[in-house]
Amino acid sequence: MTTTTKAIPLENAKEHSKARTIREAQPYWNPYVAGLGLGLVLLSAFVIMGRGLGASGAFSSLVAATVNTVAPTHAAANNFYAEYLGDGTKNPLKDWLVFEVLGAIVGGFISGILAGRVKKTIEKGPRISVGGRLGFALVGGMIMGFGAKMARGCTSGQALTGGALLGLGSWAAMLAIFAGAYATAYFVRRQWT
Amino acid sequence: MKLTIAHWTINQKLALVVGVLGFLAVVAGNPYHGAETTLNAKELSLVVEKEVDHVSPEELAGWIILGKSDYRLVDLRSEKEYAEYHIPSAENLTLTSLNDGTLQRNEKIILYSDGGIHSAQAWFLLKAKQYKGVYILRGGLEEWKDRILFPQLPENSSPAEIAAFERSKSVSKFFGGTPQIGGAAGTATPKLSLPKLEPPASPGQAKTATPKKKKEGC
Amino acid sequence: MDMNAPFFKFGFFGDEVSLIVAFVIGIGFGFFLERAGFGSARKLCAQFYFTDLAVFKVMFTAIITAMVGIFWLSWIGFVDLSLVYVSPTFILPQTVGGLILGVGFVVGGYCPGTSCVAAATGKMDAFVYLGGIIAGIFAFGELFPFLSAFYDSTPMGQLTIPQYFNLSYGLVVFLVVLMAIGGFAGGSWLEKKMAVRATEK
Repeated sequence: MTTTTKAIPLENAKEHSKARTIREAQPYWNPYVAGLGLGLVLLSAFVIMGRGLGASGAFSSLVAATVNTVAPTHAAANNFYAEYLGDGTKNPLKDWLVFEVLGAIVGGFISGILAGRVKKTIEKGPRISVGGRLGFALVGGMIMGFGAKMARGCTSGQALTGGALLGLGSWAAMLAIFAGAYATAYFVRRQWT
Repeated sequence: MKLTIAHWTINQKLALVVGVLGFLAVVAGNPYHGAETTLNAKELSLVVEKEVDHVSPEELAGWIILGKSDYRLVDLRSEKEYAEYHIPSAENLTLTSLNDGTLQRNEKIILYSDGGIHSAQAWFLLKAKQYKGVYILRGGLEEWKDRILFPQLPENSSPAEIAAFERSKSVSKFFGGTPQIGGAAGTATPKLSLPKLEPPASPGQAKTATPKKKKEGC
Repeated sequence: MDMNAPFFKFGFFGDEVSLIVAFVIGIGFGFFLERAGFGSARKLCAQFYFTDLAVFKVMFTAIITAMVGIFWLSWIGFVDLSLVYVSPTFILPQTVGGLILGVGFVVGGYCPGTSCVAAATGKMDAFVYLGGIIAGIFAFGELFPFLSAFYDSTPMGQLTIPQYFNLSYGLVVFLVVLMAIGGFAGGSWLEKKMAVRATEK
């Protein structure tokens, strides 16, 4: 599947130079090659750090740090936040996953710029409105955040990392993720198809 | 099946490579190593001679009082002995459980037993497995009792010795011991009981073994 | 061969440097996610309508690459596999959480990692999604006193599939590779079929 952009007519020199600066969006990579690259990044994390990748944990640290700033006693009393706040000696945002996620944002941006895919858009299917899509995005995000904490990770942490290390709970979570998504796809088909 | 591999697409070539590697994995055997170790005898004997691997009871007492949490204190004795009394902030691990990997190689680990034999043996085991920060409590629990819990002030001590004794008195009281003045060294050791310490800031002593839980999840 | 890896576990560098390592690894992570097209919710969700199975292909290629890689690097004695952190198994909450996750994925269009990449490339819906994630985590945290019993139920420790099913590690590696390659072949066939069906409409 490739993204398409409108062809820019090259009628005169001014148009021509404009076409040069607005890059045509490049097609995506062969998924197996991209997967190989991703796998090597994951492998390097195993070899260098002895741990894998993740994403949801960084947001948990962010939430815990925010709650701690606004209501420290409440945060300390709550076992979930306390886990991310530690014993109070270290800033919870100085966390491996927080820095990894920041890197992911940069890496995604670099890849997007190189491929001409950085553009302010709203991803949605043809049959739904912008408002509808944003509503779904918000609700979907909330469900995802909740589920990711229950599962002790998201697709990066459990499916990808735990999958590669053959963790039993991770594979169970991975299968459940696919099952849950396929089961729900029919009900939200208007959003994507 | 295609005729020659050269004609395969890149996807098929990648699949072949990973397929072969996966197949060989079946016959390769166990990827977990760890039982066998390598020792650098020269290096280890030098370390032993220099005694850089020792921690004195006074040093350890100071860390506990300050509430430091950057070390792991390991009691190598039996569960029963540990339950009767153990140095505050110590965790109970057997020699064999040291192989399980509960201790990490870049942690500061201080080992103690009754005297020095088991802690020295455990020290060798951990050093052989390339642990970097392993130390032995000099004199073990015996010296801890003698110097920290029940420090003795012999008769006819110099003023300097008396002054030093005053300091060790407060340390001893902190750990629930009883300082002794005068008398022969052979007085019966009073019954040891686990002191109820109020350490400055050490959360989760009941919950987790290490105060600083290293987050490695997602 | 002398075991030196994982480097961090052997004390080659400390916590501060590990944060820099995290950032660099993160760059690679985000880069390849975007290369694969995972900055697009439509491409991601096409997986669940069987029209574009890139999610399966990329994810499982990554899994088998890292899995086969760590197996052989451990076997030759370079990496100490027992020091690589395996997330502990809590089979019931992880399965239930996974189901919920899957729902959130297809409703929202992303997962946490891909939403960061999407936001980085300008997708406004990804920003909204990220706000949702934070709200969801906050809700979980606030409800935690009621959830913690379930959350901590069915603990099985750091358990791998070879250990649980009493199979050799290498055999499981091989089976997963077979399953992945079979899935890729089947997936490509399915994609073609769906594409034909789309043109027939």
